[in-house]
Amino acid sequence: MKKQSKYLIIDTATPYLYVAIYEGKKPLEIVYQQGKNNHSVTLMPTIEKLFDRVKMSLEDIDDIVVGIGPGSYTGVRIGVVVAKMFAWSLDKPLLTISSLALLASASKGPRILAYQDARRGNAFLGLYAYHQQTLKRLIDDQHTAYDAFVSQHDIDDEISEGQPDFALILTSDLLHREPSVHHVSPIYLRKTEAERNLQNG
Amino acid sequence: MIVLSVESSCDETSVSISQNGKTILSNIVLSQIELHQAFGGVVPEIASREHVKGITAVFEKALKDADKTPSDIDLIAVTKGPGLIGSLLVGINAAKAFAFAHQIPIVGIHHIAGHIYANHIENDLEFPLIALVVSGGHTELVLMKEHYSFETLGQTYDDAVGEAYDKIARVLDLGYPGGPIIDKLAHEGQPTYPMPNIDTSSRYDFSYSGLKSHVINMINTMRMKKEPINHRNMAASFQKAAVKHLITQSKHAIEDVDAKMFVVAGGVAANKHLRAEVNKHFKDIKTTMPAFKYCTDNAAMMGIAGYFYYQKYQRQDAMDMNGFSRLDLRE
Ligand SMILES: [Zn+2]
Repeated sequence: MKKQSKYLIIDTATPYLYVAIYEGKKPLEIVYQQGKNNHSVTLMPTIEKLFDRVKMSLEDIDDIVVGIGPGSYTGVRIGVVVAKMFAWSLDKPLLTISSLALLASASKGPRILAYQDARRGNAFLGLYAYHQQTLKRLIDDQHTAYDAFVSQHDIDDEISEGQPDFALILTSDLLHREPSVHHVSPIYLRKTEAERNLQNG
Repeated sequence: MIVLSVESSCDETSVSISQNGKTILSNIVLSQIELHQAFGGVVPEIASREHVKGITAVFEKALKDADKTPSDIDLIAVTKGPGLIGSLLVGINAAKAFAFAHQIPIVGIHHIAGHIYANHIENDLEFPLIALVVSGGHTELVLMKEHYSFETLGQTYDDAVGEAYDKIARVLDLGYPGGPIIDKLAHEGQPTYPMPNIDTSSRYDFSYSGLKSHVINMINTMRMKKEPINHRNMAASFQKAAVKHLITQSKHAIEDVDAKMFVVAGGVAANKHLRAEVNKHFKDIKTTMPAFKYCTDNAAMMGIAGYFYYQKYQRQDAMDMNGFSRLDLRE
């Protein structure tokens, strides 16, 4: 039988902390828990605990997978930095995935709106579909006015929290293998306020 | 003992490899200063984003320049505060991930301890010593009776000295950061403008808001009256008063504790006028100021402080280590 790849998956772009170890499509350990804006404190101990439970070390992992946003700026950076460091320092492939796609994988609807509140009526959102046992992206992730988007699109399921189904992500074409670990950055979808102010003069 | 150290408390991404708290094998500093100049100061969100972009490449270069691999590293030291929280968290999580991946002990270190220990790179610290810590965020007098023991004797009631420099530079439209610009201009001018004597009624504390307001008011009045302002002389006048205050309070502390050594630490330690005045006023005591490259934020200094912390406490931090925008030197 062909050896199944082992994955460590991390997502810290939402208020929930998601860390999982998969062997192929089979989950070995999953943590999905609400945080208190403290992914910086909880991520590494959670990873440590998961490896203890599966009696493996980071060396046994084949691929590092990380949710790359969009979402909370500070939150997403924690996961991305840790994943980059693992991949670079142990010379392992780094796979990135939209944090909204991870969220959408928790639903099985034909038209899933995955979103995160971005304040002032705005949201980070993307439209996805569960179709023939896999997940497809219908409309690209964006930072936009939530009400306007919802009124203009057919949506049958809205999701802003839910435990990702990584097996579904594995069969999709949404996972991106990064050619160079050093250059990986979160997807912010927005310039900083200071840059916008400078542009607007 | 080989230490890998990480510093990301503001706008510099830095990783260093050092040996036995003394020898710097590599010290890579990725500076973002040009990015922030357009905004007249450090923009925290931009700083955090840049740290994420640069961090693994800076680790790689530090190891390569020192000709070391992760398996050579005995200890990881990382700045845990004070500083910009978003920036700190990038370095801390990078350091924790590296520590976990290679099963190396990690210690969180106070940024100011790093600035003080920057002096140890070239001159062994001798105790008791008085450290004058001066930067954009700090103006403090610290007493050390032995390695890794800190007692804050005095600090600023209001602005840090570097902050006052930045504000004066901004009012004069000189650019950012203000310290080096004013220092340079001051050397071409004369202290012709009257400045107030700073008196804090305490022997060790500092105050810069009065001097700053005096200079800003003077500039505004002259502009209103359409009088020409001699920037060089204004810079020289301000700088003379600012540095005199540092010297006066340092002298008090040194005399009172009968210190064996006086060390100057932090970004403002690169100030040429301050360095000259220190050499002039403290002839009876050993003085040290870091080399210019170790005055501003860098990871090398964190590695030296980390080594002495670990020697003293033999204690490591757990994977839940956090960053702190404010942090007491004794924590
Ligand atoms: Zn500093």
